[in-house]
Amino acid sequence: MVGLLCISTVVVLLPLVIIMVHVLVEGFSALSYDFFTEELGSPSRAIQGQATGLVHTIIGTIVVDTLALLIAVPIGIGAGMMLSEYPEHPLNPTLRLMNDTLNGMPAILKGLFIFVLIVKPMGTFSGIAGSVALAVVMLPIIARTTESALQSIPWTIRESGLALGIPRWRVVLSTVMPAAKGGLITGILLAFARAAGEAAPLLFTSFGNNYLPNNWYGFIFSPTDTLPQRLYSLAISPYEQWHSMGWAAAIILFLMVIFAFILARLLARDKFKIQA
Amino acid sequence: MKFTLNYLLILFLSFTIISCGGESSEHTPSEDRVSILGAGATFPAPLVTAMADEYRDMTNRRVTVNYQSIGSGGGIRQFMEQTVMFGMSEAFLSEEVMADIESSTGGRAFNLPITLADVVPTYNLPGIEKGLVFSGEVLVEIFLGEIVDWNDPKLVELNPDINLPDRNITVIHRSDGSGTTNVFTSFLSRVSDRWRDTVGFATSVNWPTGIGGNGNEGVAGAVQNTPGAIGYNSLTYAILNNMSYGYVINSSGNIIEPSYEATTEAANIELPDDTRILFTNTPAEYGYPIAGFAWMLVYENMEQNNAISNRNEAEELLNFIIWSITEGQELSESLGFAKIPNSALEKNIAMIRLIKWDGEEIGAELLLQQGLID
Repeated sequence: MVGLLCISTVVVLLPLVIIMVHVLVEGFSALSYDFFTEELGSPSRAIQGQATGLVHTIIGTIVVDTLALLIAVPIGIGAGMMLSEYPEHPLNPTLRLMNDTLNGMPAILKGLFIFVLIVKPMGTFSGIAGSVALAVVMLPIIARTTESALQSIPWTIRESGLALGIPRWRVVLSTVMPAAKGGLITGILLAFARAAGEAAPLLFTSFGNNYLPNNWYGFIFSPTDTLPQRLYSLAISPYEQWHSMGWAAAIILFLMVIFAFILARLLARDKFKIQA
Repeated sequence: MKFTLNYLLILFLSFTIISCGGESSEHTPSEDRVSILGAGATFPAPLVTAMADEYRDMTNRRVTVNYQSIGSGGGIRQFMEQTVMFGMSEAFLSEEVMADIESSTGGRAFNLPITLADVVPTYNLPGIEKGLVFSGEVLVEIFLGEIVDWNDPKLVELNPDINLPDRNITVIHRSDGSGTTNVFTSFLSRVSDRWRDTVGFATSVNWPTGIGGNGNEGVAGAVQNTPGAIGYNSLTYAILNNMSYGYVINSSGNIIEPSYEATTEAANIELPDDTRILFTNTPAEYGYPIAGFAWMLVYENMEQNNAISNRNEAEELLNFIIWSITEGQELSESLGFAKIPNSALEKNIAMIRLIKWDGEEIGAELLLQQGLID
């Protein structure tokens, strides 16, 4: 039995290890100082060995993903809270159904939805459109995980709060939420990791850029490059140099997700220390 | 918590410093800068982005042209959706689209030839390099699925010196909407009534046989991985990927090796005023027969394009276009692209001359400033 379990574990982990090793081996050679400080420009830069890199893509990804989190977290947690803490609310069955439908919807459709909703009226592709599209990807995941995280807190805790005469919303915010913090953060991380790797919703929203924008808010209001989407376009290009830059972009994306995981864990731990 | 917040702050500050660090004082201040967004055909992307690099250096980063290659179909689509300042396509706008745009913007859409697309038959026959000779008729029969073996007598007759193997032909074609397909099928339609009646030509057609590949790179990949395969690619893609490609017999009976000179030569014909013409199977004696323009798409009334927010942007876009059809053409040959012929340059200038912003003739103004018209 234990042997079987070990084999299953290896089978689960093997693809991950193979992917990690392969990405590192293929992409490591393309990681250089230029990679982090130069803009991409045209393929002839890479072919002729001139300075080329993905600085605009890396910053763009940070901006787009952070904004997406800022949009999705409050709304998603709010929805999850309503599902868990106000089960008697008449809108809840509908909300749950819609949430699951949204979760199952292909990401490219979410991109097209934002294209019609934001890109067309603005008259330009923009980082913020990409953020909203990613937020739509994150939303149902955050709502779902928030619901189950809050559900796992025993009802007695809520009852003790209510018995003290604290209003219901206050009980949820001040006692249930802190107790469920670990679960909430895990949910947000799951949503972030899923969205950070999505290229489809960004194709027709943030669109891509070969250079840094003209000013810092250009990352938000003009077409912006993001790692998953740039990775895709580098990978399907006919140039070997761009292929290895694509692998390097994969390493950075990988590291960014891991970095976000560590950061979130740190945030969660600090809070507990203060409480203790 | 406080410590983590501090770390976060330091992190963000350092990013800000990195992003500002690149801007030395000699560059244009950021408030004067202009970004121009274009999108479309994959094939001219290496040329247009190289032009963008060059133009950005020339203007001290004042004008940044961001070109994203999303395919000809996507380029036309986004141009019509008015989310890009210029589109780019290997197929000119159809009568229907032109009429649509005329009724919605009160002006025409201009198709400005910017470079030339040449499509070569690519194949994978171990031991056989480039230079297999094809005639239009033979290509038609291969892509109709009638010639199924590489040692078919018709192929042997065209290539008497090459020892063609007894191998099945695997046909590879594009699965996405593509200007390359448009050029290739238009050539087949011109040389064969049978092809025109059964398949016809368009950015995507109902292929009677074969396997689909997505994009130039998809076809290139499938051809390279399948011994005995034949497909069609842009000449540049074929060269960059070290693929074997064929020579094609043109309408004058000459065997033409694909090259940018032969492609420019193909376009050296009488052009209509709007340059919307397919000159595959060109009458030019030494022209390569499977070639066509790649067009930049702009509106006659630029203020009608939602993607262009002010007159300054429109003028900078026009300046870039004017540069790219004149001095910018010098970049072509080093990148494996054919220059547009003079006849096309003249038609371009005539069209740019008509471009307006709120009724003011900014196209004519800019051309006059640069001494291209009097």
